[in-house]
Amino acid sequence: MSSLAGYEPLFELALLNMVLAFSQYIPLRAGVFSLGSAAFAAVGAYAAAILATRYGVPPVVCVVIAVVAGGIFGALAAVPLARLRGVFQALATLALVQIVLSTALNWTALTDGALGINSIPKAVHLTEAAIAVVFVGYVLHVIGLSAIGRGFDIIREDETVAVSLGYSVRKHHMIAFVLSGAIAGLGGAMHAFSSYSITPNEFGFHMVVMLLAMVVLGGRVSVFGPVVGAIILTGLPELLRGFQDYRSVVQGALLMASITFLPSGVVDTTRGWLRRRALTRGQAGADAAEVTS
Amino acid sequence: MLAQQLLNGVVVGSVYGLFALGFTLLFGVNHIMNMAHGAVFMWGAFAGLFAATMLDLPFIAALAIGALAGGLLSVLLDWVAFRPLRKRKAPEFSAIVSSIGANLILLSLAQQMTATRVMRFPFDTFPIRIYEVFGLRVQLLQLVIIGIVILMVVGLVWYLQRTSAGRQIRTVAYSESTSRLLGINPFSVNFQVFFLSGALAGVAGVLIGLVFNSVHFMMGEPLLLRAFVVIILGGLGSIPGALVAGLLIGIVQVLTVSYLSAGLADVVVFSLLFLVLLARPTGLFGSVHGGAARVARQ
Repeated sequence: MSSLAGYEPLFELALLNMVLAFSQYIPLRAGVFSLGSAAFAAVGAYAAAILATRYGVPPVVCVVIAVVAGGIFGALAAVPLARLRGVFQALATLALVQIVLSTALNWTALTDGALGINSIPKAVHLTEAAIAVVFVGYVLHVIGLSAIGRGFDIIREDETVAVSLGYSVRKHHMIAFVLSGAIAGLGGAMHAFSSYSITPNEFGFHMVVMLLAMVVLGGRVSVFGPVVGAIILTGLPELLRGFQDYRSVVQGALLMASITFLPSGVVDTTRGWLRRRALTRGQAGADAAEVTS
Repeated sequence: MLAQQLLNGVVVGSVYGLFALGFTLLFGVNHIMNMAHGAVFMWGAFAGLFAATMLDLPFIAALAIGALAGGLLSVLLDWVAFRPLRKRKAPEFSAIVSSIGANLILLSLAQQMTATRVMRFPFDTFPIRIYEVFGLRVQLLQLVIIGIVILMVVGLVWYLQRTSAGRQIRTVAYSESTSRLLGINPFSVNFQVFFLSGALAGVAGVLIGLVFNSVHFMMGEPLLLRAFVVIILGGLGSIPGALVAGLLIGIVQVLTVSYLSAGLADVVVFSLLFLVLLARPTGLFGSVHGGAARVARQ
């Protein structure tokens, strides 16, 4: 176990990345082209960090407030964003990330600008992070099985069919944005309580790319998609320690290769393959049974 | 003072327009959002810089080499990042993801190559001459930039509207299946569109590198983000829209920096994008057809 203990920060990072990846996963599952999770995470992280360092609010309360703040911010952003589609939605959410980033950089009275907020108490360890992942994963799994999840899947596959079946696209897009905001708020707050300090630039384009890569690589339908994606992309830099300089090259190549050759992600491709195999096996078994009888 | 700032805004804005033009051309014809367009711009600036420093070439040759490098890189990008997806008829989303990956690779390679340094054009690349016109200080470089942008835009419009190759490009933009029925070679059209788009970015790169006298691996990112605003304002796929909106954004940015604060420029520019999307989801000049925009169906 002692050799594993050295990797504790890495496991913690992987778990926190999973929470953020969940926030990117929900809109993509619903066919919402959102790249805004980094903005929601920034709102949650700053809300929690400011409350904890300036007003001495206990961490649990901070996290709850961050979740609510993220959700409300998601709902407000969804009012204009749910009207848009495709690339327009992607660009508008990117603009949102940029606006939040600039605000965090320039509203120094609230956020201390580029210095960020320091000496945040360390309240999140491996256990808390694991609880958060299991909780969010379970909630998303249950939502995925409900009518809302079916709505998400149909809207993602074909919006026209969804409308003809009476699903309100706007309502489902709203739900996706609120969930994405709340989960990112949670992820951001936990990140703040785990890393002692936050700076605006952590929530920029780099985070957008990282979260997108996790979900694309892992898969957009199964809840395990973002989990696997987060594990791969958090672990990869450790494996490539010798090639520190070319980490981004590998990450970029991985992103291109996975969208080109494995468009539905590791988990969803594997599940599809297993299901097909089970079906053909079942078919073969049935055939065999017919012959013998 | 105001007139001076307006002039500066027009110069910067016309280069934004040039950059956004290539971006919007790709979207108009191929429905691709090329997130690596900023990296093409940056490599174009690098190529121009190397031509000016290592080969000691004059300004015009550096500009041409920047255009050539941008064009070729853009074609390469098509072959590696976009064509496999097009073959599979993958959704728009895939092209965005794939080009984000390509962008990461191109940026990181540039960073390795330059060791994160900021480089400059040699002092004598472009003669510094300043004229006084009605109390305005006008640099020769500014006049040349406006001239080059006008020349390139007129050239592009002529190519698209008056030549056979341009007609083919417009046919593909209108409907790819119709163009196939007419016997148009999609390979050649894609080559031209990507080359033109990259060449425009390369020229813009060399010009921006000269105006701000700095060339570095991150120079494309802010421009790409501005280009999003420009093309949304101007309507995706609209050439006049990209130019007008480019000028507008350039002026708004320069005025915000000089009258409010430098930090607010981004907030103002991106809030503008948000407001426009709220009021007109297809952009100011965009039509539902032209931008292939799927407006909300309720």
